[in-house]
Amino acid sequence: MSRPFSGRKDGLSLSEALPDRSLFALVAMMGFLAALTLAGASGARALSARWSGGAAQLLTIQVPDADTALTTQNGPSATTTRVQAVLADLASLPEGAQIHQLTPPELARLLEPWLGETDNSALPLPAIIRVKLPPDTTVPAALEQTLNAHVPGTIVEHNARWGERLRALANSLLACAGLALLSVGGIATMITGLATRTGLATRKDIIKTLHGLGASDSYIAGRFAWRTATLGFGGGLTGTLVACPPLLLLLQMAAPFASAPQATPERLLPTDWQALANTIPPDMLCALAFLPFAAAFICWFTTQVMVRLWLLRLP
Amino acid sequence: MIRLDNVSWRRGKKDNGPVLANLSFAVPQGGFRWLLGPSGAGKSSLLSLLHIENLPTDGQMSILGKTVAQEEKRAALVRLRQRIGMVHQDYQLMPDLSVADNVALPLRLQNRPEDEIQDEVHAILKWVGLGERVDVPATRLSGGEQQRTAIARAIIHRPGLILADEPTNALEESQACRLLDMFAELSAMGTTVVVATHNESLVRRLERPFLFLERGRLVEEGGERA
Repeated sequence: MSRPFSGRKDGLSLSEALPDRSLFALVAMMGFLAALTLAGASGARALSARWSGGAAQLLTIQVPDADTALTTQNGPSATTTRVQAVLADLASLPEGAQIHQLTPPELARLLEPWLGETDNSALPLPAIIRVKLPPDTTVPAALEQTLNAHVPGTIVEHNARWGERLRALANSLLACAGLALLSVGGIATMITGLATRTGLATRKDIIKTLHGLGASDSYIAGRFAWRTATLGFGGGLTGTLVACPPLLLLLQMAAPFASAPQATPERLLPTDWQALANTIPPDMLCALAFLPFAAAFICWFTTQVMVRLWLLRLP
Repeated sequence: MIRLDNVSWRRGKKDNGPVLANLSFAVPQGGFRWLLGPSGAGKSSLLSLLHIENLPTDGQMSILGKTVAQEEKRAALVRLRQRIGMVHQDYQLMPDLSVADNVALPLRLQNRPEDEIQDEVHAILKWVGLGERVDVPATRLSGGEQQRTAIARAIIHRPGLILADEPTNALEESQACRLLDMFAELSAMGTTVVVATHNESLVRRLERPFLFLERGRLVEEGGERA
């Protein structure tokens, strides 16, 4: 025997009226896409910040025939090689500048994608010197001329030029991610709108009866909105959780772009997931945690608007 | 009380002919009116208008002392609608709810305490003879039981105005008489009652003033109908 007073308070029975599974599943898919997009946006923003901040202070100097004796006006020097002369000139850079000549193994690893095992290469390789200037300092304007006058053939590559281009690239990626998020939000809004319309169509008579009994617009819209918001939250949470493993994989794969070159992964799957999870940027974590709430809000707001507009046809 | 001054109502576009035309009458607070007329005369439309399911397209209408017009705020109309009890011809019960939950609806929409609601519902269902059917889903009720449930739902919140559209259609004569006695009692207690019916014997049993509609117009308004 059923109870005289059930949990169903008003007969709307929204769990049956709204297409639960489809709304939940579609919002979950949107949540999944949004999570990936958010991660991409977060990564692009981090790269942009890194490239604009760090790369602007970096110089790369190539010294061909590095171990050849320096030629002076008096003929070849017996004690100084060309690379030693360049290093000596770089000592005049602002205090705090870090100067590092790549060791043969570092150079070999750097060129490995192009030259293979460089240890066995007969190619004459230049010496590479990496200079990191302290923050808020600029490269002396005449550095390249000075080095070239002293050690002819020296190439100074200022990374700031690349930094600018990469920053522009990162910013355009960021804009794309923003547009993708807007699209995902728009699609979620449309899906919720369609689900709400279906619910309104199937419960038209019951809504009219409730309206006649004195139910306010906010009561009816609220009942529908909380239902879709619950489904949206569940869908958003599911989509975000499903997106986490692929995101960690992508993070692992993108590690070389985000950190030092020696962090290049040797295997596709990381060995220490916990350590990898700890490397997720906090802003990305916040964005992912916010995602289910954003999905719930989109569903709630869309339903509120749709139901209230529909109710306007009743006096 | 109810007051209508030259009220017309048309469905849909402006060039549609009026369903109700130039109605003018008043019913004092606590008054009882039979609403009579042939099928299609506009009785149900007039009850819908009085229940604020539709708004007058012309003229002035006030219900329970409040003006009802297109420009009134929706919240004010909601509050006014909560003071009206309506028994529809097709009952309009919630199919997914039990008898008790159906009857409890007006009180729940007014956010009354749940224990108070349950006491009221049990009392009124006992009164309409459904005390043993409280937990039955509305879809499993007979026509007469559905009608009694609809009546109980219309009066449980002690409305200031009760509108009933053929309320005794599916009732046995003894129940119909009880219902009429109840309407008369409510009227005597200050509730305005308007009952639309075809049932002449019912009208003769309870002699009260009447409104006679024909093709959407009020053609006769009289005292007690003999």
